[in-house]
Amino acid sequence: MPKNGTIFLARTLHTTLSSHRGPVHVVRYSKGSAKYVLSGGQDRTIRLWNPELGTEIKTFSAHGYEVLSISVSHDNASFASSGGDRSVFVWDVTAGVTTRRLSGHMSKVNVVELNDNATVLASGSYDSTVRLWDLRAQSRAPIQILEEAGDAVQALHVGAATIISGSVDGHVRTYDLRMGELRSDFVGQPVTSVIPSQDATTLLVSTLDSHIRLFDTTSGKLLNDFTGHKHSSYRCRACFGHAEATVVCGDEDGTVWAWDLVDATVLQPKPPPKVHDKVITWAEHHPTDPGEMITASADGTVKVWRHPKSSTP
Amino acid sequence: MSTARLKRKLGDLGIDSSSKRANESFCLIGTPLPPLEKSRDTGEFVPLWKQDVRDEKGRRRLHGAFTGGFSAGYFNTVGSKEGWAPSTFVSSRSERAKNRGARPEDFMDEEDLADIRADQKLVDENEEMDLTGGTQAEMSKRGQGDTGEKDEITVALEQSLLPTPKDSIGARILKKMGWRLGQGIGPRITWRQREIQFGRNPDVDSTEADEEAKRHMYAPRDTPLLIVGRKDDSHGLGYNSGLGLHATLGSQGPNNDTKGPKLAGGFGLGALNDADEDDLDVYDSSNMHTRNRTAYDASDMYDEERIVMGNKQHGQPTGRSSAKAQAPARPTLGKGTFRDGTHSLEGFVVSDKPVAEDQWFPIPDIPAGWTPNPKRVWEQAKVADSNKENTATAPPPIIKPSEPQTHSQWKTGISADQRGAILGETPLPTGPRSVFEFISKKDQERIKSAAGGRSDQPSSPDFIPATSSPESSSAPSLPHTEVHVAQSALRGFQPFTADPAKQVRYTAYLQAHANPGSGASIPAQLSGQDVETYAREMRDYAKAAALFRPISGAMAGRFTSAAVLDLGPKIVEGLHTPAAESALNDEDEKMDVDEKVDERREEAPKVHAARVGMFGALTREVTPWQPARLLCKRFGVKDPNPDVTAPQAAASSSTAPAQPEFTAEAVAAGTVSMTASLTTAPSARKDLSHIGLGDEDGMGDDILTYERPAMDVFKAIFASDDEESDVEMEVDDKVEAKDQRQDTLTPALPPPSASDGLLDSGPSTSISRPSKPDSAPEVDLASFKPTFIPRDPKSKKAKGKDKEVYSKEKKDKKKKSSSKGATLVSFELDEDGTDSISFSAQRSKHRDKERDQDRFKKKKRKEKDGDEDDMWVEKPPPDIVKGLVAEIPPDDNPDIVEDAGPVRGRKRAVDFM
Repeated sequence: MPKNGTIFLARTLHTTLSSHRGPVHVVRYSKGSAKYVLSGGQDRTIRLWNPELGTEIKTFSAHGYEVLSISVSHDNASFASSGGDRSVFVWDVTAGVTTRRLSGHMSKVNVVELNDNATVLASGSYDSTVRLWDLRAQSRAPIQILEEAGDAVQALHVGAATIISGSVDGHVRTYDLRMGELRSDFVGQPVTSVIPSQDATTLLVSTLDSHIRLFDTTSGKLLNDFTGHKHSSYRCRACFGHAEATVVCGDEDGTVWAWDLVDATVLQPKPPPKVHDKVITWAEHHPTDPGEMITASADGTVKVWRHPKSSTP
Repeated sequence: MSTARLKRKLGDLGIDSSSKRANESFCLIGTPLPPLEKSRDTGEFVPLWKQDVRDEKGRRRLHGAFTGGFSAGYFNTVGSKEGWAPSTFVSSRSERAKNRGARPEDFMDEEDLADIRADQKLVDENEEMDLTGGTQAEMSKRGQGDTGEKDEITVALEQSLLPTPKDSIGARILKKMGWRLGQGIGPRITWRQREIQFGRNPDVDSTEADEEAKRHMYAPRDTPLLIVGRKDDSHGLGYNSGLGLHATLGSQGPNNDTKGPKLAGGFGLGALNDADEDDLDVYDSSNMHTRNRTAYDASDMYDEERIVMGNKQHGQPTGRSSAKAQAPARPTLGKGTFRDGTHSLEGFVVSDKPVAEDQWFPIPDIPAGWTPNPKRVWEQAKVADSNKENTATAPPPIIKPSEPQTHSQWKTGISADQRGAILGETPLPTGPRSVFEFISKKDQERIKSAAGGRSDQPSSPDFIPATSSPESSSAPSLPHTEVHVAQSALRGFQPFTADPAKQVRYTAYLQAHANPGSGASIPAQLSGQDVETYAREMRDYAKAAALFRPISGAMAGRFTSAAVLDLGPKIVEGLHTPAAESALNDEDEKMDVDEKVDERREEAPKVHAARVGMFGALTREVTPWQPARLLCKRFGVKDPNPDVTAPQAAASSSTAPAQPEFTAEAVAAGTVSMTASLTTAPSARKDLSHIGLGDEDGMGDDILTYERPAMDVFKAIFASDDEESDVEMEVDDKVEAKDQRQDTLTPALPPPSASDGLLDSGPSTSISRPSKPDSAPEVDLASFKPTFIPRDPKSKKAKGKDKEVYSKEKKDKKKKSSSKGATLVSFELDEDGTDSISFSAQRSKHRDKERDQDRFKKKKRKEKDGDEDDMWVEKPPPDIVKGLVAEIPPDDNPDIVEDAGPVRGRKRAVDFM
C-alpha cells in the first residue's frame, strides 16, 4: 500500500462492460470476495458480469421501468433491486427470477438496501418515505415506514443498528435503533449518496452543490470537505477508496475524482482525465482488492479499473 | 375474579400475563364485517391443469381429445354421459308424415344460427321473391307432393325456365299482370315501333327480319333505371368537372366504338357470364341462401339487352345518346403498366397525361439596397389592431356586390340583416324579447329606476348596493363588502401581490370594511384616476374579497397561500414618474424586507449554519424515534423503550407527535411521570379485542366511587363469571398459572404513589412519582392493602377515605372486587403499549427486570409454541432474573409477597365465593 500522498487510484481501464442500452444507473460488487458485478440501467435489465473477464453472465429482466438501485445480500444468493416500477424486487441469483415483489411505494424507488443478514430490506423512494420490509416473514407489508423525509430519499445505508437515509430535502437522517432516536443532520443541499466508514464513526455525504462532506457521526460535525468535481444535477455516488484512505467520486463530466481522505487534496492526475462520455452515475471501489474499482455511466458502459500493479498479486 | 385466578395461574407458570399473547381476546362481539377484498380475483393464478377454455357464454369448449379424452362428446356436443349409446330402433312407419330430412340447421351451432338469422335479416326483401310458390299454400303443396306429382322433366324444366325463385312483391304483381322478365312495362307495340325503340332502322331490310316477326305485337322495350347520382360537391348544376381520369378512360375505352345501343348499361352480371364466382367469399355463410347472383336470361332479347333485377342493380344511367356512361372495359395489358414497369391495379388504366402540374411563380426581384424592417410591419399591424378595436362594435363594412371584396370578406358572407339593409328592406318587426316589453311604460320606467343602482354590480349575494353613496348621483356607486367577508378576506389569499400598490389599497379597502367603526376609510381616489376607474377598482376589490376568502373548516389547513417570487427588478414602462405610488412601493418594500428578515431569523440556526459550514450541534436535530418491535428483532437490537411499542407493522414511525410528552421524558430518564398518556389511554384503548376483557376500567370506577353496591351485586356479577371462567381455566395448563402469579403481583406494586401523590389530586390527574427507592418506605402499609387497584385513582381515593369505616370484611370484599378491576386493568396493560399507572412506578426501577421477566416468560412460552412467536429473539436472561421476580415485591410493598407467592396467607376474593 502506497504511503499517504502517493496513493494511486486504479486508473487503468481493465475492461468495459457495455451491453446495456441506455444509461447505467447502478453497479454493485457482489459480497464476499466480490468476484462479480451487478449492474442495472435504463434498459430495465440487471446484468451480472464477470469483471475479470468482462463477460456478461446473466440478464435479469422483470423490471418494467428503469433500474435505479441494487443491493446484494450477504450470501450472494439473492439481491434486491428497485426502480421506476414502484416496487422492490428480490431476486434469486441462480434461478434468475424474482422471489418477492414488494409494492407499497407511491412512486419510483430510488434506492434499496439490505441489512447485514438480508432479513430487512430498506427502500427509499421518490414519495419521500423509507419503507422497511421484512424478508423473513411471509407478510409483504412493510415493518415500518419512515416518513420524516421532506423530499425524495436518494440514499440509504443500513448498518448493524442504524439506518441512514439521505434525502433531497438536504437532510441526512440516522435512525438509531439501539438508542431509539433519530438524528437528522441538515446538510442544506440535496443528498445523493451517504456512505459511512467501516467503523461507522464518519459519514461520507455527497450533495448536489459539488461537495462531498465527511461528517462525524456522533457530533454531526464536518470533518472534511472534498470539492473540485462537478456534481449539480445527477445522482452521483461518492465512495471510499481502498482502506478508506481516499474518497472517490465520478462526476457529471465523466471524470473520476479522488481525494486524500485526511487533507482533502485532489490526487494526481489533477484534473483527472475524462473517462466516460457522460455523467458517472455510480462509482464503487472493490471491497477487498486495493487496485480495482468500477464506474457506471450514463453513456451505457460500466468500466472496470485496475491498478496496473495490482494485477500481479 | 376469574381472570385474576387465571392470571395467577399463568403467573405461577411464569407467563407474563401482561404480554400480548396472554391478553389475546377470543371474544367476538357483533357480526363480523364482510371481508374487504373481493371474493373472486380474476387475475388469480390458476394452475395449468385447472385452466379450461370457455366461450363467451361460459360454456366449456374443447372436450374430448383436446382436454384428455375423458369427457368425449358429452357436455354440449352429441352423445350422453355414458358415451355413444346406440339409439333404439323406432319404427317411423306410423309417423312418416312427421318425418323430415335433417336440415343443415339441425347441425348448426347457436352462433351459426345467429349468423344465419343475421343474414336473413339483410336479405329479407328477397325472401319474398319467390316466383313459383310465394304463397304458403303453394309451399305446403310443394312440400307434400314434390316428388309425387312432378316428374323429373317437369322439375328440370321448371328449374331451367324459372329464374331463381325469388323476386320482389312488385315483380310478382307485374308478373301476374302478364309481364315477363326482360320486357318493358306498357301496352304491346308493333315490330316496327320496337325496332325504332331499339334504335334500328325498321326500313332497312335485315336478312333475318322475317315477315312472321313483323306480324306480332311485342312488349315494349325495357326502360332502363334512371339512377340519379348523389351530388356531394359544391359545383353548380350542370357543371362539368372537366377531363378527369374518367373522361380519359371513357374516351379511350376499347368498347367505345362498338356499334349499337348499350342497353341496360351492361352493368352487373350477365346470366351467362357469371364470372365473379372467384370474387365471392366462399366462407360467407350468407351464400347458403340463394341470392340473385346471376341475372335473368331474357332469351328473346338481343344480347346487349341484359336486364338486371335484384339487389345488385346499381347500374349507371344509360341511353343511346350518352356514350360516356359505359362501363370501363378491362384494360389492355399495355396500358396497365407504369413507366417503371410495375403493373397498375386491375381495372385501372394508366393515364397518358400527367396530373396537373403545380404552378410556380418566380420570386420577385428584390430591389438593391433593400433591408428588412420588421418594425414597420409591426407598427402597421398595431395600427390595424387599434383600428380594429375602434371598429370592433361596428358592423363589418357592407360592401356592395359590385365592389371587389377580399377573400375573407367573401368567406364570412353577409348576414341576412346586412343583406336586408343593402336591399333597403324595412327590418321585420321582431317579437317581444322579454317580459319587460309587455309591461306598461310607467312600470318599465319604475323598474329601470329601481334597477339602476343594481345594474352595474355583480350579482353576488355578498354585495349589497351602497345605500347612501357619498358621491353625487352621477358618480358610480361604490360596492359594499360585508364585515365578515372583509375580515376573512384579510386572512385569505391576497390576489394583488404582484402589484404592491394595488395590494396596499386592497388591504386598506378590506380593513375599512372589516372594522367599520375604526375610522379606517376606503382608499381615496388617486389623483390621476377618474371616477369610473376608481369605481371599477373598488368593484374589483369587492369581488376579490368575495372570492379570495380562506376556506373554512377542515380543508383550510391543507392549503397555504402562495408566495409570489420576486424575480429581478420590476420593469415599468415609460418614464419614471415619482408619485404617490412610489411611497407605497417603498412601504411595501419595507414590509417585504421585514418579512424576509423574519424568515431568515426563523430559518437561521440550521440553514445559516449549514451555509457557513458549521455543521454540528446547530444542524443536528435529535428526536426520539421508536423502531417497530419487529425491526428491533430483525436487527438483533433491544427495543429501546419496550413499553412504548410503536404501532404495529405498517404503522408510521412518527411516534413523536403521538405521545410527545411521554417520549421526551422517557428519553430524559430519571423520573417517569405519567402524563396525558394516562388519561387519554382508556379511550384510545377501545378496540374490539378489549371489549370483552379490559375496558371495564371505567365501569369499576363508577361502582367504587359513587355507589358502593351491596355484596350481592358483586357476587351476582363476579360469581357467575368466576364459575364460567373456572371451566375455561381448567383447560389451562401450568404455564398460564405461572403467568397468573406474575400478574397478581404487578397491580399491587404502585400503591405507594397513590398515598402520597394521588389522594389530593383529582381523579383524572396523572401519577408522577420520582423513582427514588426511599419513597416506598414512607408508605403506610396498612393503608395500602385494600387499595388493590392502583390504576384507578377514584377508587383509591374512595378507599382512602373509607378505609377506617369499613370493616376488615368489607375491605376484603373490596379487595375482591378491586382485584377484579385490577386484573382487568392490567390485562389491557401491555396490549397496546400505552402506559398505565400500575407500571409507571415500577418502570423506572424495574424496567429492565421486568423486561427480562417478560423475555424469560416469553422464552418459556416459546418453547411451547416456538415458531409462532416472532417478537422476541433475545437470549433467555440469566438465572438471576428469576430471582429478581421474587425480589421486586419487597422493594415496594411487602404485601405482594403474600399475594404473589404460592403462600396464601391473605384471604383472596375467591374465598368469599
